[in-house]
Amino acid sequence: MLSCAEFLSEFGDYLEHSAEPGLRARLEEHLHECKTCCVIVDSTRKTIQIVTDSDCFNLPGTLGESIVTEVMGRVRQKS
Amino acid sequence: MPYVSDEKVRRLYWLPNLVTDTATTRGETESTHDRLVPLYGTVPNLFRLQNQLPKVVQAEEQLICSIFQDRSLPREVKRGLLSTVARARRNNYCWVLHSRGGTEQSDCLPGLQSIAVKLVSSGCTFSPHDLTSLRAAGFKDEVLLDAILTVALGQLLCTLAEGLVPELDFENPTAVDPLPLPEQELDVRTEAGPSIMAPPRRSFDFAPYATLRDNVGFVPNLFHAQGSRPAVIEAEVHAFEQIIVPDEYLSRTQKECLLLVLAAANANTYCVALQSQILAALGTAEDDLRQIANDFRRAGLSDSDLALYEETQKLSWPIAGSEFSAERLRNAGSSSEQVLEACATAALGNFFATLQFGLGCIPDFTPERILTAKDLYRLRTLVRPISDVNTPDDPDSDLVYQAQSGNNDAFEELVRRHNRRIFGTLAGILGDLDDTRDATQEAFLKAYEHIGRFERRSKFSTWLTSIAVNTATESLRRRKPLESLDEIETEVFRPRQVLQWASDPEQLLSATQRNSLVREAVLRLPYKYRVAVLLRDISQFSTEDAAATLGLSVSALKARVLRGRLMLRESLSVHFMRPEKPNA
Repeated sequence: MLSCAEFLSEFGDYLEHSAEPGLRARLEEHLHECKTCCVIVDSTRKTIQIVTDSDCFNLPGTLGESIVTEVMGRVRQKS
Repeated sequence: MPYVSDEKVRRLYWLPNLVTDTATTRGETESTHDRLVPLYGTVPNLFRLQNQLPKVVQAEEQLICSIFQDRSLPREVKRGLLSTVARARRNNYCWVLHSRGGTEQSDCLPGLQSIAVKLVSSGCTFSPHDLTSLRAAGFKDEVLLDAILTVALGQLLCTLAEGLVPELDFENPTAVDPLPLPEQELDVRTEAGPSIMAPPRRSFDFAPYATLRDNVGFVPNLFHAQGSRPAVIEAEVHAFEQIIVPDEYLSRTQKECLLLVLAAANANTYCVALQSQILAALGTAEDDLRQIANDFRRAGLSDSDLALYEETQKLSWPIAGSEFSAERLRNAGSSSEQVLEACATAALGNFFATLQFGLGCIPDFTPERILTAKDLYRLRTLVRPISDVNTPDDPDSDLVYQAQSGNNDAFEELVRRHNRRIFGTLAGILGDLDDTRDATQEAFLKAYEHIGRFERRSKFSTWLTSIAVNTATESLRRRKPLESLDEIETEVFRPRQVLQWASDPEQLLSATQRNSLVREAVLRLPYKYRVAVLLRDISQFSTEDAAATLGLSVSALKARVLRGRLMLRESLSVHFMRPEKPNA
């Protein structure tokens, strides 16, 4: 069976549901026996959800248009 | 006379040493490179950028001149062939360099053009049959040899240009018009044996052969096959002696290994067998050689050698799907001289591979196996379309075409489409709003400046984000030293927070609080993990596109994303753990 260290270095594809069947079986065998790694898988999935849903790096309201104006002003000067 | 300004040379980010007051300065360059000026009317920037390695430049010059001095084909036809190679490789720099004056269409006969395109696009399927119609049309072997040498030279120049990315030497209003490539053949070449019959050359009194015997142990068939062109053989051997043999910046073994990697990537059976023999003579174990040829990523190489081979392999043809990154090599510890040597080595490797495909020389040693066009896919980690000019699913394709034709409204639409994602990625890298706004503008302006060179081998969004990430990286590096982007993960990350999270953690905090926590946690990540997580989880790139953007293998990108996510989980755990139940 995989050790926890091996599990933690290999479970990236499992998180994204893209692990190939053989690896997935070994990972699930480990999860069946290891509560700590179950917690880590669950909380990492939730982390991804929270980060993906976050608006923390969104472009503020009017700044988008001012960037377009500034960039295109300089582009048209060059051309 | 147009030439790259000293200021532009300084701006080439991977050249830390300025071109200084030596024989390589602009004032003396024209006289130093006096063999190039008559050919090009100037010293092309391609060679100026290699001024740190004057012997290499001199060897390249000798090779160019030796091929141009033979008049079996008129000089203008050779220019036309070089231009054809550039169009087939979609290499804007070389196309502008060679097509100035409109020589290509009128001076490159269709038959010659077709062999050039086949050698460039699928050299491993080239066979004597491909020369039949030209022979029937009256072309002598001397002329065909001259044409094949010229195509090989075109490969050398394009490889250098793809590695060094020089400024254009001449004003050119339009981007390169790519040539359609033939359907990829997947069969082994059916006719073995040489395509060109050259008269044998007595070897005992020929100095280049003595050099080969000293450095290789024998005279490879590739040189015997060019027996009628002693000046070319002399120049080729001189280039080998100046570029590959010296243990100066890269070791000879590194360069020979690099040639082995390239030979495998080009599916060139002859060159793989030759390089394996040379490396065995230099002391490399057979098992190691087999592993490097089959899959060097599993050969237990050092991080710096792995970066060197991965990046230089991208200079093979057909290209592996992403552009050569000198920045990655620098981050892996390579000096600018080593980067230059790697590019020159790759250029010479592609020259010899193309020459061998064209001449059809029989291997000097029994090859372990015969490589075919199928290996072009197997040996590379990415599948690349051979004949599609457009990346089929790039939604920006039409706008990019219009922008490349000088349509500023189309470029404005591209800015509007990608403004939000570029800003978000850069905000996650830089943190500060003003810095992010400046970097976003700078990234779009760089994209505008270089859009003529965008060759649609990746999606436009991937290419643009790559520019943006590089812009932000340079900005951060000006503030403080950054950790390398290219270290391989060696230690397993050990989580400390192992308590269960709430079943619906997002309900525990307001959106504003969550955004603030995520922002702080992302900005605290080490840079290389931060960029990987930003591209995957904030900008929502696919794994493949994120890897291509950062010039990483898919497996390396996945490792970084996983590490970054685990670090974020660690930071956020304390806020999202399951609330403790009150004691009953």
